Amino acid sequence: MSSLSAFSQHKTHEIAVSVRNLGLTYTTAIDKRPTLKARAKALGRGSKQTRVVRALDDVNLDVNYGQVLGVIGTNGAGKSTLMRCIAGILPPSQGRIEVNGSVSTLLALGVGFNPSMSGRDNVYLGGLAAGMTREEITGHFDEIAEFSELGDAIDAPMRTYSSGMFARLAFSVAATVRPDILIIDEALSTGDAKFKEKSLNRIKELRSDDRALILVSHAMKTLRETCNDIAWLHKGKIVQRGEPNQVIDAYQKFLDLGKSAAIDEDV
Amino acid sequence: MSTPIQVYEPFKAGLPKLGKYWKSLWSRRTFISEFSKSELREQHFDSVFGQLWLVINPLLLSGVYFILIVIIRGGSDGTRYVHLTATLFLFYLISNSLTGGVKSITAGQRLILNTAFPRVMLPISAVIIAVFKFVPTIFVFLIIKVVVGSEFKVEMLWAIPILLITILLALGLAITISCINVYFRDIASFLPYLTRTLLYLSPVLYEASELDPKLRVLEVVNPLFPILDSWSSALVHGQMPEISNMLQGLAWAVGIFLIGTYFFLSREREFAVRL
Repeated sequence: MSSLSAFSQHKTHEIAVSVRNLGLTYTTAIDKRPTLKARAKALGRGSKQTRVVRALDDVNLDVNYGQVLGVIGTNGAGKSTLMRCIAGILPPSQGRIEVNGSVSTLLALGVGFNPSMSGRDNVYLGGLAAGMTREEITGHFDEIAEFSELGDAIDAPMRTYSSGMFARLAFSVAATVRPDILIIDEALSTGDAKFKEKSLNRIKELRSDDRALILVSHAMKTLRETCNDIAWLHKGKIVQRGEPNQVIDAYQKFLDLGKSAAIDEDV
Repeated sequence: MSTPIQVYEPFKAGLPKLGKYWKSLWSRRTFISEFSKSELREQHFDSVFGQLWLVINPLLLSGVYFILIVIIRGGSDGTRYVHLTATLFLFYLISNSLTGGVKSITAGQRLILNTAFPRVMLPISAVIIAVFKFVPTIFVFLIIKVVVGSEFKVEMLWAIPILLITILLALGLAITISCINVYFRDIASFLPYLTRTLLYLSPVLYEASELDPKLRVLEVVNPLFPILDSWSSALVHGQMPEISNMLQGLAWAVGIFLIGTYFFLSREREFAVRL
């Protein structure tokens, strides 16, 4: 489990994340909620109603320090799953992941695991769970609160937050702790134009030689501006990796084709 | 200096490396205390009336049950009431751990899907919260004992090891049930029936010595039985509890804790997929 407390200097081009032959399959139940009642009912019916999902298939990916990697792909391509694997949240089914440094994640859900607690409590709890010390969080807290522009709302229960406020706080936390490796998963898609621009600027600030950034986004323009490397993921496989404009052009061409010829249909 | 490299590989069924797991858990102990504090704050137990409720609630409960006993038996005495409050308060420590623990993993979904941390922190926090709620009832109990005129003896100190055994048992139960709830979400709905049954099977509304010999089997199959019996011996009657009872309680507590923790730790890496 990664700890954010152990900050260290990393050289540019040193490997930050190395993913080798990563495969991830999981079985999902058809039933919405797994219950004892449902299981008992299914006893007479024989086989369990499950579906095997192959979310990632033989993915190889190296991210170096100094790199800003954008990850693109259609919905369900496995982008979020890949990020969760790198963050150590999901265990791989095959392959090996090596992470050399502290990781901070801003995944689609953001902070705030208990909506009835205040934003402040949630920031503290999220940070402590990620392995930071109380003092470290206190040291960052004012900056987080200021960047999120929440004002007094920081002490209100998070269930009273709008989705924009939620996203702003989540982004502020992830972008303020200055980890070695920062993973941002579609967090830029919420928030108003002003905050979007502000967070984009922060990401640009965070680009440095001793940090690796991984951005998952559907905002191609942003990715073209910020990234120096793009990986295109499709159905759990990496289709193309390389220079941003080149890969994004190919991806957009693919999307256009998909629209007309429906080549991507899983029928 | 560089941060140690984290390696994530497919896991085989079985335990994670315990040394590393413990280190990771220990480094996050502030989370456990902070989580318990904010949870209590959220339930308003930081205010005067919140604290008062912690005391009034078990008092009302014991009052209700006392009426029940008086009606069923056609009369009762002070010792009976002292026994009832002592055992009921300890019972609620376990029952609160269960109700808090059962949803600890499923309610922590956001955190689990976003952050890598030892998941066992969540049921542990639930037990800590139950302990916090238990502490004020100790004082209530002592006041009741004074009012009733029950004698204070040095043997009452046996309550301390019994309490430790109870906390271990509560931990084991909370860890087990939080893990089960990931796979069977309706366990939480069955829980009230389970705790109610446990209450009636335990020497709370009656004393162990009054039990019909035919029902003695309860002592063997109910993990709470020897513990509550010893607790009552020490605190209510001021006697040293039977060693065999304490050992039996300890065996249950250690057994449930080890088995539950084994299940939890060997499956917790899968929780993120299941939620």
